[in-house]
Amino acid sequence: MGNTKHKISSFFLNLKSQPVEIVLLFCASFSILILFLMLFFVAREGALAFSKFGSELLFGMKWDLGTNLFGGFPLLYGSLMVTFGALVIAIPIGICTAIFVSEVVPFSLRDPIKTIIELLASIPSVIYGFIGLLIVVPFIASTFGLVSGQTALTASLMLSIMTIPTIVSVSGEIISAVPKEYKEAALGLGATKWETIKTVVLPISKSGILASIMLGFGRAIGETIAVSMVAGNQAHTPTSYLEAVYTIPAFIATHMGEAPVGSLEYSALFGLALILLVITFIVNTLADAVVKRGIQL
Amino acid sequence: MLAFFWIAATLFTGVGTLNLDLLTTSALKGGYFEMIVGTMCLFLGAAGIAGPIGVFAAIYLVEYAPSGKFTRIIDQAINNLAGVPSIIIGLFGYTFFSRQLGFGVSLLAGWFTLALMILPIVIRGSEEALRIVPQAFKQAALALGATKWKAISLTTLIAAAPGIVTSVILGIARVAGETAAILFTSSVIITGGLPSSPLQPVMSLAFNMYVQIVARGRPPETVFGIALILFFIVLAFSLVAIILRVYYRRKQPWLH
Repeated sequence: MGNTKHKISSFFLNLKSQPVEIVLLFCASFSILILFLMLFFVAREGALAFSKFGSELLFGMKWDLGTNLFGGFPLLYGSLMVTFGALVIAIPIGICTAIFVSEVVPFSLRDPIKTIIELLASIPSVIYGFIGLLIVVPFIASTFGLVSGQTALTASLMLSIMTIPTIVSVSGEIISAVPKEYKEAALGLGATKWETIKTVVLPISKSGILASIMLGFGRAIGETIAVSMVAGNQAHTPTSYLEAVYTIPAFIATHMGEAPVGSLEYSALFGLALILLVITFIVNTLADAVVKRGIQL
Repeated sequence: MLAFFWIAATLFTGVGTLNLDLLTTSALKGGYFEMIVGTMCLFLGAAGIAGPIGVFAAIYLVEYAPSGKFTRIIDQAINNLAGVPSIIIGLFGYTFFSRQLGFGVSLLAGWFTLALMILPIVIRGSEEALRIVPQAFKQAALALGATKWKAISLTTLIAAAPGIVTSVILGIARVAGETAAILFTSSVIITGGLPSSPLQPVMSLAFNMYVQIVARGRPPETVFGIALILFFIVLAFSLVAIILRVYYRRKQPWLH
């Protein structure tokens, strides 16, 4: 006890003599403060809907203003479906690109390629949505003979292009951090380059790759603008990737403007946002833990 | 990789729809002037808020933070903030800045909302820039009798300045085309002119593109010009950041 007391008082004494440190500490803690405020305000606005509908907000099948039904299941399902589709495309391409860039490509080409991937990551989502509408939507429509090319598949395709940079940069960093001696040992034993990658590099970096996939998931499930432009936006539970879907973020983006502040619909939209926020929190925290454990190994 | 060239090539097919007069013509007459200025006002203000906070946070984390639980929590919080979907940043900005703090739908609310998106990028970039400055710089100043803060602000911070500036520019590139975060906080589809105070709403390129297509159902070809301008702005900022980084990496001998 005495020790803690001493620690606390010396902490405050230090602060007194170092006003700069207080400012620095405040700025560093700012992120924590913002996250708490975010949780608090989104939860506060969503509280009405949660108290009234409870888990129906998550599992209810119908969203109907007229009858005050606010079931978010089709939206949650749509979000997961589109994200899953995007990851199925993005994971193989992303990981192969990461291996290719950090193991195969000659050193002098690495930086230019990384730069292009970085540029790909900085293209705004509204531009991805625009390109999707201009090219991918008509392409899907004509390939599958559909009336409208705004489908879950289209959204997944666009999302996969947006997720690949995340997967490549995070897993690429981990892959290039594999100690050179390990690879040289394998090569020295007569393994081919591909055998070395398969038996040495990939097992060592698997936690980093897993983390990159989780971060990609977090990015894809929260993506709003591009998805709402190409997914068709129809709130029903789709049975195939060739149907239109609505995702949680797209639904919030398109309905917030019309929902009167304080109404049930307004609150229900914040309830959906809270669900999304909690999902991304969990995924990001897990990804962080996986990376940290991977580095210790 | 290929995807980038594909996107660039597609956008360039639209160059024909753009002429220089549109850039300086008011939106009331079908030009893009207010949107371009509005977009720039938004990201410059946001960078002005996130820049100092981010740099101070990075200095704390690199130079002052004890390695303990609290520091780990800060670290985790920064990662989580970076991972919050932009639509939720936008919703939060709307409830907190626009309504709770009474900023309304305004440039000011947009600044703070976008600043939340730039902040993690600035912190991470500045941290990296500060970490690679050799300890010897700071120690020399300390040995001459400087206080810790003086030593850091006069040596480490200055040596890291190019890296810090780069991280702010990258942050700008990331939010220049952000739509979801300004959807409810700061943008409107048309204004009579440029905003005369930070408490007025602005027009912006990204918002306009989105609303024209989604809410008004216009065919995508009609916003080709806006898409192209936005793409150029984002590309310019990203390229400047990357060139700065390469240039200073060559110029700073202690990095080799």
